[in-house]
Amino acid sequence: MSSDANRLISALVRDSVQLDLKTLDLCFLAGLYLRSKRSVDSLEEDTLIDLFEQVCEVVEPDTERPRVRATYTIQRLRDQRLLARVDGSGIIRPGDYSLTRLATSIVEFFFDDERLTRESLSLLTGTLRSHLTEILAAVKHADTEQAWQEKVAAPLQVTVGDLVGGIERRQRGLDARQEEVQREIADLLQADWFGAVDRSQALLDTTTETLRELNEVLLRDTHHLLALLQDIQSEASKADQTVPEEAAQRLIEHIDRIGAWGRERQRAWSDYYQYVHRYLRDVVRLDPDRALSQRLRDLIMNRPSPRFRLFVASTPSIRLLRPVESRVERPAVMRPRMEREVSPDLVDPDSELDIDVSVKALVEASLSEGAETLAEITERVLAELPAHKHYIAAGRVADALAGIASVRSGRERPWRAVMPDLELEDWDLSKERALGQAPRPASPRVPRPEPEPEPERAPKR
Amino acid sequence: MTSSFESLEEAIADEHFPGVDLALRRGRHLSLDDGTAYQYLIDALDHLEPFYRRFGCELVHPSDGYFYLLPSGDRLDRRRLSTGEMLIGQTLALMYLDPAALQYAGVVERQTLLQRLQGMLGAETLVRILDPRRRKKFNERIFAEIIRNKVAEALRRLAELGFIDTLDGGRLRLRPSLMRFVEPVRGSKDCSAALERLVASGEIDLDDADLNADPGVDPSDPEAEDEAPEDEPETSA
Repeated sequence: MSSDANRLISALVRDSVQLDLKTLDLCFLAGLYLRSKRSVDSLEEDTLIDLFEQVCEVVEPDTERPRVRATYTIQRLRDQRLLARVDGSGIIRPGDYSLTRLATSIVEFFFDDERLTRESLSLLTGTLRSHLTEILAAVKHADTEQAWQEKVAAPLQVTVGDLVGGIERRQRGLDARQEEVQREIADLLQADWFGAVDRSQALLDTTTETLRELNEVLLRDTHHLLALLQDIQSEASKADQTVPEEAAQRLIEHIDRIGAWGRERQRAWSDYYQYVHRYLRDVVRLDPDRALSQRLRDLIMNRPSPRFRLFVASTPSIRLLRPVESRVERPAVMRPRMEREVSPDLVDPDSELDIDVSVKALVEASLSEGAETLAEITERVLAELPAHKHYIAAGRVADALAGIASVRSGRERPWRAVMPDLELEDWDLSKERALGQAPRPASPRVPRPEPEPEPERAPKR
Repeated sequence: MTSSFESLEEAIADEHFPGVDLALRRGRHLSLDDGTAYQYLIDALDHLEPFYRRFGCELVHPSDGYFYLLPSGDRLDRRRLSTGEMLIGQTLALMYLDPAALQYAGVVERQTLLQRLQGMLGAETLVRILDPRRRKKFNERIFAEIIRNKVAEALRRLAELGFIDTLDGGRLRLRPSLMRFVEPVRGSKDCSAALERLVASGEIDLDDADLNADPGVDPSDPEAEDEAPEDEPETSA
């Protein structure tokens, strides 16, 4: 939505704009409209009340105290900006009123006297042409800013703009009339069937003729109007006058819309005309008693009556073969075959016992040889064992040593390399090397050697 | 000869022929609403009538202003419309005859169709006709949903066959080919004679076995007997 539209809608919402008009109100406004057309004078309050009473007698004859109701109605119409007080005397004397532009537009819509006819369109386009010709002549003599404004821009915006707006307004009136004709034809046939054929045909022909004439006028005149406007725009552009140039451009677009409206309505009406014409010929004229609908309704509702089904051709689509291509072998989606359930390894229990015994013996031997640190002892023990048992044996060396000798450990135990792929946190042995149970220090942490999938800490027994 | 084409070869060489031929063989009814395709058929009728007769079928052009192909031999397949398609087609034909549809040049609301169906037959009878296998107790909500689905399915097929056009917003444009559903009741006399004539010409097939049966269920209808899908086209060669 454009910013203008947003602003307008916001303003309408802010002011809580609404219209509440009953039939009596509309009739009252129509009466005021007709009265004001007879005289240019404003309407006195007494005149308004008298007129309201007259309208009441026609529309709602049983209304009690119409003068009181008139007072409320006048106030309500004023609140809705349909009636304006124009005297400015306040409470000094009864007021004078006139209809606002809003009220006039509403009433004129119902009077429908702004329908586009060949006469009104010809008159409007003729007036438009003469105005534009005058403006074009003024353009050629305009040499000051003021002359451009007064002789070109203002007439384009006001006089020509109003005339073009008048054509568009009448187009909308004709649209409403067309819709009415369509409804009228349907109602006529509904009410009178065969008897309404001629009247329906006449309505169709009248509207068709009106549209044809209007289109002729539009085709002829829009061309001239556009040419004049383009000349004005071109001159304004040469003189570097943006206001008249833009005004001419807006009017060109407006005229284009009017021309497009004519073409579009002609096409839509042509479709409608054909449909109704076919209906009148094939349905109404062939069934003057309107018995066909009744018989069909009976057939549908009376289900036990002989039922039938239509045959229709049903050939499937032509089968198009694909181009020949060599067969493509697609490999099956699968996992490589393998034994998922692996049997557990059989281990000789004596071998595990053996390693404990041999580790303990080797530790004792190392101690007796004078080794003084865990690293030194471990290195000596592992050198005696096969490589695949080094990781397991490393933990058991520490365990055996802790059981045999008293060990000391600092707060920060140093890491010592025992073998190329094995390090441990070292312990020192106490001087007395007392045999027997000693308090167990924390197990040495042995880094995990590469090939062995075991935890970081040295295993405990 | 009223044809603007000099020969069959010329008619077949026209750019409209492939599309028109395929549409007719698939059972589509072509009318004025199809624009130049309809005009082509009018022009080429003299050549195409004997052409299609060689395939054992008739290129029919009723006075209502539409064309369709009616196979009678075994060279082109044909099918019977389902019970639901027939009911919806007849109701749409009734709406086509109603002058109320004139106001909008034959465009009607889908909702109006449903209202008219319910007004004429009631929800329970409608479900018995549209879904003959259903034997469960009446439940308004479920029945309404079944009716809506079945009607939508029938409308889709009728649109494919050129009886209606489906427009935006659930609106339907009624086409003159709907008058095919009216054929048996067109004459002022008893419609059985008209039915016999139409059966003889291969236009329709009668379900006369159900005259004394449950009005909603068609015993001769395979849809009612087995578990075959209800709207499975019944083709015959």
